[in-house]
Amino acid sequence: MKKSFAVFWKRNLAFAKLAVVSNLEYRLNYFIDVLVQPILTTGIEILLWFAVFKGAQSTTIAGFGREFYLSYALWSAFFARIASSWMYEFKMIEEVSSGTINSLIVRPMGFYEYYLSQLMGYKFITTLISMIVPVIAAYYYDLPTHFSRIPLAILLCFYYLILVHTISFLVSCAAFHFTKITSFTVAKNLLLWILTGELFPLDLIPGVWRERLIAMPFSSGVFLPVGYITGRVELPLVINGFISVTFALIILNLLGAWWWKKGLDSYAGTGA
Amino acid sequence: MFKASFIADLEYRANFFTRILTDVFWYIAQIATFEVLYQHTQKIGDWDVHQMRVFLGLLFVIDAFYMIIIHENLDNISEKVRKGDLDLLLAKPINSQFMISLQKANTALIGNLTLGTSWLFYSLAGLPDFHYIKLLWLLMLIPCSLVVIYAMRFIFSATAVIFTRSENLQFLWWQVYRIGMRPDSMYNPIFKWIILTVIPVGVIVSIPARALLNPPNYYYIFWPLILVPILLYLTHRFWTFALKYYSSASS
Repeated sequence: MKKSFAVFWKRNLAFAKLAVVSNLEYRLNYFIDVLVQPILTTGIEILLWFAVFKGAQSTTIAGFGREFYLSYALWSAFFARIASSWMYEFKMIEEVSSGTINSLIVRPMGFYEYYLSQLMGYKFITTLISMIVPVIAAYYYDLPTHFSRIPLAILLCFYYLILVHTISFLVSCAAFHFTKITSFTVAKNLLLWILTGELFPLDLIPGVWRERLIAMPFSSGVFLPVGYITGRVELPLVINGFISVTFALIILNLLGAWWWKKGLDSYAGTGA
Repeated sequence: MFKASFIADLEYRANFFTRILTDVFWYIAQIATFEVLYQHTQKIGDWDVHQMRVFLGLLFVIDAFYMIIIHENLDNISEKVRKGDLDLLLAKPINSQFMISLQKANTALIGNLTLGTSWLFYSLAGLPDFHYIKLLWLLMLIPCSLVVIYAMRFIFSATAVIFTRSENLQFLWWQVYRIGMRPDSMYNPIFKWIILTVIPVGVIVSIPARALLNPPNYYYIFWPLILVPILLYLTHRFWTFALKYYSSASS
């Protein structure tokens, strides 16, 4: 048992390292992804919040002052970069639709596991590099930030990332049946863009939708971790986030196992 | 081109219909953002919620035209460079920039153009005293907006010829484009000047929206006419420059 875990760990660590090395191969590309893009997003969102407060009649919105929203805009751009999967989902779909998955399914490892470890490796290095920016900016501009809460917030975001990968796995399994499905990824990620709270804090939504959206597992991607760091959200809600992601993981993994088996049954092995 | 593209697009029907859904989610995201923000403020920039809806309607219409005619072609430049497909285009007796820019149309998104246009007319109906004759400005301004988007996106896409792999520079384009998805009046005067001249993403939607919503300001309305030939010339120069760095992938 102990030995098999060591083998499993070593194997997955190798996949994660592979992701780090292959992403750092084109460094300009990589640094644009982890630094330039979120910095630009932050800039755009901060300008929006300045304009919103300029037109607002009061100095607070939903009980929070402008600095809270600037802090939210700063952190949410970086968390959103971590909590989304574009590149690996496209790769997974391509493996299935082009038939190159043949070389993976004959190896002693799972397709899900292979890409999960790579995604985690990629996101780990991205977090290490990109999080320096909001930490320095929040400190320098004295924006409302609970620095001691950052580790738990990142942990929740990474836990949510497993859910994101599971959804990517489901989407890639659809490629067994539909062949060309890249637009599924775009549609799904746009939907998550709304549901995670990247666009605006979810607690600004009026009525029952607010509670519903916050209770969904997707809020664990951006709203809950960023809200926790910036003081909008307290620990019980973060724990609820862990619980709701766990439920979603159980359901989607069961669905994924069934969908994968069904996909393999119908798979003709195009690349063979 | 449209007929051939339509047949090719219909080959993968699930993908075809999901593309329409994708833009519907994008529209929802844009509308939801501003509707939620207007619950807490009267004005953003110079405009109230009714005027912002018109701005969004114009954004949807212009973006739908861009997605149908230009987007997919420019999105594929990076792949064409890496796979060596650009060689085939360069060998043809036709302007390679023209060929690579207008090879295929994304016909699935014609449905989105209908949705965007419907939203625009719905939002115009919510404006008191709107003179529909003002819509004639769009006949001139929407083509100008499309050229501005084309020129800027083309320069981002053509970097793939120089760097070989520049997918994230394409995502960077999306961020720059997002600046233009907000009204220019939201920004401070210096930044507003920059996005109307140096990085002219502000021209794309804000100027057509101003033509509809504000009293006529001929500086704003005719500026795109001057900008368009300049940008087209710059794209041509940049393409020629980028091709000097092209090392054929298929040879």
